[in-house]
Amino acid sequence: MTIAFTWTEFFQQVAAGIRDGGIYASLALAIVIIYRSTRVINFAQGEMATFTTFVALSLMNHGLSFWAAFPIVLAIAFAGGVAIERVIIRPVEGASTVTIVIVTLGLALLLNGLTNVIWGGGERQFHGPFSTRTLDVGGVPISVQDIGIVAVSIVLVGLLALFFRYTKLGLGMRAAAINPASSRLAGVRVGWMLAFGWGLAAMLGAVSGMMIAPVVFLDPNMMQTVLLYAFAAAILGGLDSPLGAVVGGLLLGLTIDLLGRYVDPIGSTLKLPVALALILVLLLVKPGGLFGSVAVRRV
Amino acid sequence: MRRGLVICAVAAAVVAGAAGARPLATPGVSSNSIELGGSIPLSGEASAAGNVARGADYYFKYVNDHGGVLGRKISYKYLDDAYDPARAVQNTIRLVQQDQVFGMFNTLGTANNLAIRNFLNDNDVPQLFVAAGATTFGRDYKKYPWTIGYIPTYAEEGRIYGHYILASVKRPRIAVLYQNDEYGRDLLSGLQKGLGKKASTIAAKVGYDPTSSDVQGEVARLKASKANVFMVFAFGKFSLQAFNAVARLNWHPQIFVNDVSSASSLMAIVPQSAANGSISIVFGKDPAAPLWAKDKGVRLFQSILKKYGSGVSSRDLKDGYYVAGMASAFTMVDALKKAGKNLTRAGIVRAATHLNEKNNPFLLPSIVVKTSPTKRFPVTQVRLQRWKGKAWHPFGKLISAQPG
Amino acid sequence: MTPRLKLALEIAAFAAFAFVLSILPRLISDFHTREVAIAGMYYIALLGLGILTGYSGQISLGHGAFMAIGGYATAILSVDHGMSPTWTIPLAGLIAGASGVLVGIPALRLAGIYLAIVTFGIAISVPQLLKKFEGFTGGTTGKYGEGLTSRPPFGLDTSSNHWLYYVTAGISLVLLAVAWAIVRQKPGRALQAIRDSEVAAASSGVSLPLYKTFAFAISAFYAGVAGALYAIANAYVNPDTFQVALSVYLVVGLAVGGLGSLAGLVVGAGLVYFLQFHADTVAGWLDKLPILDLDPKQPGIPSVVFGAVLIVVMLLLPTGAGGLLRRLLRPLTTRLYTRS
Repeated sequence: MTIAFTWTEFFQQVAAGIRDGGIYASLALAIVIIYRSTRVINFAQGEMATFTTFVALSLMNHGLSFWAAFPIVLAIAFAGGVAIERVIIRPVEGASTVTIVIVTLGLALLLNGLTNVIWGGGERQFHGPFSTRTLDVGGVPISVQDIGIVAVSIVLVGLLALFFRYTKLGLGMRAAAINPASSRLAGVRVGWMLAFGWGLAAMLGAVSGMMIAPVVFLDPNMMQTVLLYAFAAAILGGLDSPLGAVVGGLLLGLTIDLLGRYVDPIGSTLKLPVALALILVLLLVKPGGLFGSVAVRRV
Repeated sequence: MRRGLVICAVAAAVVAGAAGARPLATPGVSSNSIELGGSIPLSGEASAAGNVARGADYYFKYVNDHGGVLGRKISYKYLDDAYDPARAVQNTIRLVQQDQVFGMFNTLGTANNLAIRNFLNDNDVPQLFVAAGATTFGRDYKKYPWTIGYIPTYAEEGRIYGHYILASVKRPRIAVLYQNDEYGRDLLSGLQKGLGKKASTIAAKVGYDPTSSDVQGEVARLKASKANVFMVFAFGKFSLQAFNAVARLNWHPQIFVNDVSSASSLMAIVPQSAANGSISIVFGKDPAAPLWAKDKGVRLFQSILKKYGSGVSSRDLKDGYYVAGMASAFTMVDALKKAGKNLTRAGIVRAATHLNEKNNPFLLPSIVVKTSPTKRFPVTQVRLQRWKGKAWHPFGKLISAQPG
Repeated sequence: MTPRLKLALEIAAFAAFAFVLSILPRLISDFHTREVAIAGMYYIALLGLGILTGYSGQISLGHGAFMAIGGYATAILSVDHGMSPTWTIPLAGLIAGASGVLVGIPALRLAGIYLAIVTFGIAISVPQLLKKFEGFTGGTTGKYGEGLTSRPPFGLDTSSNHWLYYVTAGISLVLLAVAWAIVRQKPGRALQAIRDSEVAAASSGVSLPLYKTFAFAISAFYAGVAGALYAIANAYVNPDTFQVALSVYLVVGLAVGGLGSLAGLVVGAGLVYFLQFHADTVAGWLDKLPILDLDPKQPGIPSVVFGAVLIVVMLLLPTGAGGLLRRLLRPLTTRLYTRS
């Protein structure tokens, strides 16, 4: 049943698409940071984010306000990320891609299972930092939460850019990723740089989860479908570019939601295959994405 | 097929004999026990529904502690199928062939029950009180005589909404959000039948896939149809997201939410500006509803849960899924009593198709669970209820949800 | 040891394996026979995945999708077109194999991690496509009907479970022999060369597109056969059976079984079967540990176990069960060598 086109609805779809894009962007940021600092694609990124969001929920259920719990959760996420990198990833760092992929898959399974065991299944409400008010922008209702999700992602990119360019730690991380051997000679503690990358990404994932949960409701499988879209966003933007992750995410969310709405055969069911098709085309034609500098070795 | 069955039976008897056990006249029944089997999602997306099995299990334990059924204790072995029909098949075959259960009870999910129905009927194993609302489980008894449903069908639920809308809404313009599978589509087609000639009052219908991360776009699209009635035929978190979207989009239609997603625990966490005034059907006692706070049936449920459950939280004490399981279990015990001391598989099916149960403490007070060999829909009476002030308020009389 | 001695030992091992398979049903119950059959289906899928990932080094997180293609091919051919299920198996394999070629060609341009992501995307997308084209596939309900059954054809006097077992065992033996032949001969060496260094392989004259696509095609064929058998075993196919979790479990089985080992995959297949269908048993064991007070029915425990096993195996035993087996046998074979 086709519903007539109205500009009001179109802008609502655009708003929904940008907000979905913000969701993908925030997770994509975490994926990109890990890739950039350790050249590993982390299949467990979504589960790490979900787990830390549940930790936040527990803290808030014990009486803490969101803003009181927030720094604690970030600290726990950071520590967790560092621990995972040192204990699980470090031993297989030089191993084949297959081994590393399998390890992150195992981590994803483990975390998903743990989340279920500790907190059980079922949807929960999660009170995020943004009010649930809706603003009227030229006849189009846009919620403060949606704006908040996009704004936070953009702010994070800015902060990360400053961090990587102007702080010693950030420079150290970049050096360690690009050329570990030379960095060591220059006095950079490469091992800790890698661990720090995971810690940072875990924090980003936690932020992502805490922003998304109020909107999509928190449950152990919350991030599972988001993950593929986040991969698509990261590839679209360029796997080593945080700016690309955000731009890619927003573009991807917008495109896929609009396609799903206005191209009837696609509808809701084929959004994921469309994202996959996009990934495939990108990797074949322009693997560096929009902003990345990654080269795929062609044989 | 007959011969294969005999081979199976002989093989089982040989193995049983080799293991030193007494060969059982009726599988799953001994002088002091009855073994029931079930397959239910305990993990994965639909795992919240796992509490239906747990509730039933706890009720059986309660019955066992009070003498059992005619001297026999009921044991309910339920396995996880993660909502995957292939696993449901494997679980069922294991329960029937290895564990030698008397019958399958309370298996959840339309696809899962379809997947195991052929095997069970081919092997003359009862498929009792199916926890799924597809009409086929009660309707197609000629082909599948060992199968019987339980809850009101989704199609009937949709039809009831359709009738009610025609009777109560002036100039209805209906928008429907439905999950794109048999569950959502049954509700939709029921609605269309209930509207009859006025089916064109459905101004827009949008299906969504369970792999979506959010349904806000779909709701925005439905709002654009300028509908004044909104049917939420969505499951779990998608229903929650639909209410969220309605609130955020500043839309104020008359909302109808399907029974499965109407649990008080879910309705309480969505924006109340959107939830207030929503209508749903009800046939079980919602333990979170203030209306039943002092009810004997709900008190019984909570005491059973506290005694036999593990790690019971305050959330669990308000979880309607447990109650749904206990309601089915009550009927199961009822049927077992009716089937008598000389318990056979054919006997339990006969008992289950001759029910006339008036006192199920977990269903609404005036509901009669009634079946006949040609009317295999046990629960066919519902009431409408309206959400207001963070609680459900039933109104009106009992409505028949008997498929015609 | 001499190549001839090694060959003789491998043939002997194969014969022993075949012998055990042939008498197993007489030793175990009818239902357990079915369980072994289903584990056997995973084994077939793992053989294919082993050739692809273990030997040619191309990661696939999407082999559940090829199983789906095989399963649905069998379902459609037997339900809609009246073919006897057993004869659909090779056809299902070929259809899946053809899709393998379709995936293998773009895969040529994708290195390691990108291939992982794309195949992961395929695993997620195929169930969606199955839901979409419902006229063909039965949509979300799935496909089932008179034709799709595990009842023995030609009125054979045996149980469904036994029939399923013998068909699966027979097919796995044949496919194992084929896999072993491929691996021993030039294709296998070419694949290993590609895995170890594509540049070196190419400069030695190995045609990369040919062998890499071949690896995809044949592994997809194997997975398709496994999927077809699975459809027959359940007499039902449904998109939810072939979700991405299945593809991940296959990779788990491969890793634990051992990349580059055909024998170790038996362990991998057993693990995948056990953790999927005996999660309650695992939870029961864990419950017996004194420190843990777990509700065995609590969801998530199998995933925790799966995940932990996977991580531990990759860290401590990266060559999996197959590698362990080889290490255990090495002193034996060395002694044989020095003796001769």
